[in-house]
Amino acid sequence: MLSRFKYFKPHTLSEAVQYLEKEDNSYVLAGGTDLMILLRRNLINAEHIVDIKMLPEIAAFEYVEGVGLTIGAAVVVNRVVDSAAVKAKYPALNQAAAALASFQLRNRATVVGNICNASPGADLPPSLLVYDAVVNIAGPKGARQVPLNQFFKGVKRTALERGELVVSIQLPDPGEGDKSIYLRQARLKGHDLATVGVATRIKPDGKVAIGIGAVAPTPLRLSALEDMINERGLSRETVEWAAQEIKQHIRPISDVRSSAAYRLQMASVLLKQGLLKLIEKED
Amino acid sequence: MDEKKYSSKYKRVGQPYDRKDAREKVTGQAVYTYDLELPGMLHARCLLSPYARARIVSIDTSAAKALPGVRAVLTGEDSDILVGLYMQDKRVLSKGETRYHGDVVAAVAADDEETAERGVSLLKVVYEPLEPVRNVDEALEGKILVHDDINELKHYVGVFFPQKDSNIASWNKSKKGDLDKAFDEADLVVENEFSLPAVAHVPMETHVAIVQADPFSNKIKIWASAQSPFAIRQIMADSFHISETDVEVHIPYVGGGFGGKAGIHLEPLAALLSRAAGGLPVKVRATREQEFNQLPTRAGMRGRIKTGVTKDGKITSVKAVYDWDSGAYADYGVNVGKTAVYSGVGPYAVENASIDSKTIYTNKVFSTAYRGFGHLETHWTIERQIDILSQKLGIDPYEFRMKNLLEPGCQTMSGEVITASNGSPKDCLTAVVKEIGWTGRKSEEERQREWKTGKVRGKGFAMLQKAPAMPANTATAVIMQMNGDGHVKMMIGAVDYGQGAITALAQIAAQELDMPIEHIEISSEIDTRANPYDWNTVASKLTFMAGNAVIKASREMLRKMKDVAAQALRTDPDYLDHADGVIFHRHNPERRLTYKQIALGYMYPNGTGIGGPLIASGSSIADGLTNLHPETGQGYPAAVWTFGAHAVEIEVDVETGSIEVLKVASAFDIGQVINEKLVYGQICGGVLQGLGSALLEGYKFNADVQLMNPSFTDNKIPTLKDIPGKIVPIYIENPQFNGPYGARGVGEHPMISVPSAIGNAVYDALGINFHVLPLSPEAIVLGIQSGKKSILCTDVDCLPGLH
Repeated sequence: MLSRFKYFKPHTLSEAVQYLEKEDNSYVLAGGTDLMILLRRNLINAEHIVDIKMLPEIAAFEYVEGVGLTIGAAVVVNRVVDSAAVKAKYPALNQAAAALASFQLRNRATVVGNICNASPGADLPPSLLVYDAVVNIAGPKGARQVPLNQFFKGVKRTALERGELVVSIQLPDPGEGDKSIYLRQARLKGHDLATVGVATRIKPDGKVAIGIGAVAPTPLRLSALEDMINERGLSRETVEWAAQEIKQHIRPISDVRSSAAYRLQMASVLLKQGLLKLIEKED
Repeated sequence: MDEKKYSSKYKRVGQPYDRKDAREKVTGQAVYTYDLELPGMLHARCLLSPYARARIVSIDTSAAKALPGVRAVLTGEDSDILVGLYMQDKRVLSKGETRYHGDVVAAVAADDEETAERGVSLLKVVYEPLEPVRNVDEALEGKILVHDDINELKHYVGVFFPQKDSNIASWNKSKKGDLDKAFDEADLVVENEFSLPAVAHVPMETHVAIVQADPFSNKIKIWASAQSPFAIRQIMADSFHISETDVEVHIPYVGGGFGGKAGIHLEPLAALLSRAAGGLPVKVRATREQEFNQLPTRAGMRGRIKTGVTKDGKITSVKAVYDWDSGAYADYGVNVGKTAVYSGVGPYAVENASIDSKTIYTNKVFSTAYRGFGHLETHWTIERQIDILSQKLGIDPYEFRMKNLLEPGCQTMSGEVITASNGSPKDCLTAVVKEIGWTGRKSEEERQREWKTGKVRGKGFAMLQKAPAMPANTATAVIMQMNGDGHVKMMIGAVDYGQGAITALAQIAAQELDMPIEHIEISSEIDTRANPYDWNTVASKLTFMAGNAVIKASREMLRKMKDVAAQALRTDPDYLDHADGVIFHRHNPERRLTYKQIALGYMYPNGTGIGGPLIASGSSIADGLTNLHPETGQGYPAAVWTFGAHAVEIEVDVETGSIEVLKVASAFDIGQVINEKLVYGQICGGVLQGLGSALLEGYKFNADVQLMNPSFTDNKIPTLKDIPGKIVPIYIENPQFNGPYGARGVGEHPMISVPSAIGNAVYDALGINFHVLPLSPEAIVLGIQSGKKSILCTDVDCLPGLH
């Protein structure tokens, strides 16, 4: 059924939160690139659309040395692509942002929207996860923070409760000597959803972080695998071993985009390639 | 892109003029059906079947009808009209049973699209899902009939052969020689199976039609994004039991077709809705999703081929069985299937052969014409088989092909004798093989060495042929008039939906009349009340057929001009010549008149006029074609064969399975280049579209035969970033003696055999024979992982709906 909704554009955060709490079937509109598809295909029955673009709190986009990066809910993906600070400090995030959809969509789609949509195969979460991103949430009970790796609850499900919305996400400053890379496999060179996406990071202390998308109901941070790699010590041999071991840590499904077998193979290949590229930079 | 300069021996034919419609299109001034609005126009939405096959138990339309703004609600109970060009098998609205996931169950016309869509969502349908026919094997078993009225379906008798109480919409056959004996005597007999899925046309402008049908008379006015104004007129007249003259069809600019807009589509539905709404015009447009799951596709196909050869590499025998998964309807699909019986051994001389081509009903999205018209599919079978034969014989694939290619004196599958006027397949192959620097297949050691680097290169090539698939009496016509300023305006009945017809035909007229192309005015807009007849804008036959009609019209025009000029100049028309817009006396060139002076009739100094407005026409009908013999398939189906070849160089990433296409060389014996820019455009576009079929595209169905990828999210086509490293076009010009300036068609050909060439190159790189498309990264990886040397459909579970 074609949605018939009320459009509301709040000017303060509390106005937005109150409205979202009060009204059933309310949907938040920022970039709208996911919401419009749901509406157009009649996949949701929206009664209220809350356009948050005017809220001053969500416009923030800044990197502060020693503190880190804040990305407000209104920040579109192309700003992350173009940001010199992100390029220098969070290369995996920059690469993931540049790989997301097409230029036109990146001009509209927001970084926060990409996590709130909670698609298992979204491009940005693996990179945000390896940087230990924290989600700043506003809600009827006040503000709270949720680490990103606890934010995803399932396919298209998040930790957000009724009346809550994400104001921004925050990434700690990785410091000097940090390296990262995001690699993805898609069906063609032009714009496509990732069949598998892997973010790999080597922290200044030499510890590894791995984030991966499209291999489970939610994007994953592979902490157990990271521990095993760190214990073995990073080397070419470890990389070869990890490329096989990763298959024990993910449970991809077969769907219209890819078979589980190919996703396992690509998780392995992309992890290997990512780690080797980072090691090469070190050498 | 290669910068080799083409140079023409003619002043205007062969010159790289810009397209006549280019400026209007790139500045956004061109008007398409999508843009049109008529006074009082209603908008329609359709309710599509959510099941591949279901019984419609009941439809409650009361709530939809009660919705303010809704003007008409139609279901299958309201109309029994059947439509189809070759096979009248398609209901405008499902009645009793739905036949595919996307079949139209009901339609609502309302004041605006939103109301129409709300109306659709108020329709209450009770379905009883039925066991669907999933694939060609289930269809051939015949336990369930997709059309239980198949025995009564009206069709083109003697050309198509629906089989009684079966799912076979047409079984076409051809045979010659003594096949059993030839197989017995062959040194080697190789049997293989190849398959490929259905793919979408994806025109930029989706299907759209506006129809105003007067409820008080037979009059029906149509505006449509369509390739075939006169076929629409004819089919509408047939299906609605009215006269062709009652139907007027207008075609503004068309945003792409690729065969998908040939024949008839949304027009009958819009007509029924308009009648039901009291004669208000109704616009029906397909959404992008409906373009995938409601409108037709290219059929999936399975080819089984058995070939006998001598040990020195001569092909003696071929037995081929082509099974086309035409989906729920075959109104156009049967003609695609028919091409296989006269073209299904490829451009090779084979003395003993039999071909069976079955166009088969299943409960999938139905099929229609698609650029290449069955030839990309059959050549996927033929050219991969040729490559595998050469592997088994240990003969270089170039030499093997050269031993067997058609040349003057050889017979085609249907018994037509090839002459020098047919052009040369060998010239095409030699040119592309040279262009990619072919020096023979990679050795296993070379493969292993490269494998260690993670990337393996391969080269491959493939032949192709195609002739227009059209009725033996296909015809077209041109009308030419001169304006007061001495310019010429031409009207044709065919549609320029992007292929460049109006530019190419203007060039031929400009050459004949010897006047600047800018002085030839030719509209791409068609109005069946004014424009002359053309059968269908399909089949790569327009330049050939309408080109000849333009030559005839031009010569008639010149004759008329010379008659008037002779009178005015007091001489004999035989002494007059023409050049640069002037008629002049051959002996004494000062005795001359400009075209302008006689355009509307010549006026003497005292005011007396002679002649009158200049007008000429030209007709062209297919020359010497026959229907094929129903059992042997012998006859003359081909007005013009165009032969060609592709050669490619690729690099396969053995870990990710991605194929990088480094170079594509494409040669076609087109007889004469009419416009180098247009030919180059066709080659680049066709190659890229062919790469889509090779590497990427394909419909995917679940076990209930519901389409899994009905949108761009998962039904991908190549983008700008997927263009190969280099495309080298090669034009071979052995003229066809009855072609305009020797020209042949080349619109569809660049797409054909691209997948075969890539498949052959994959073998060169990996030593693995793929028998299934697409050669996606996933298929390549799963193929490698399987450890097998031949990869069939079942080895890479990418196409659950096909098997």
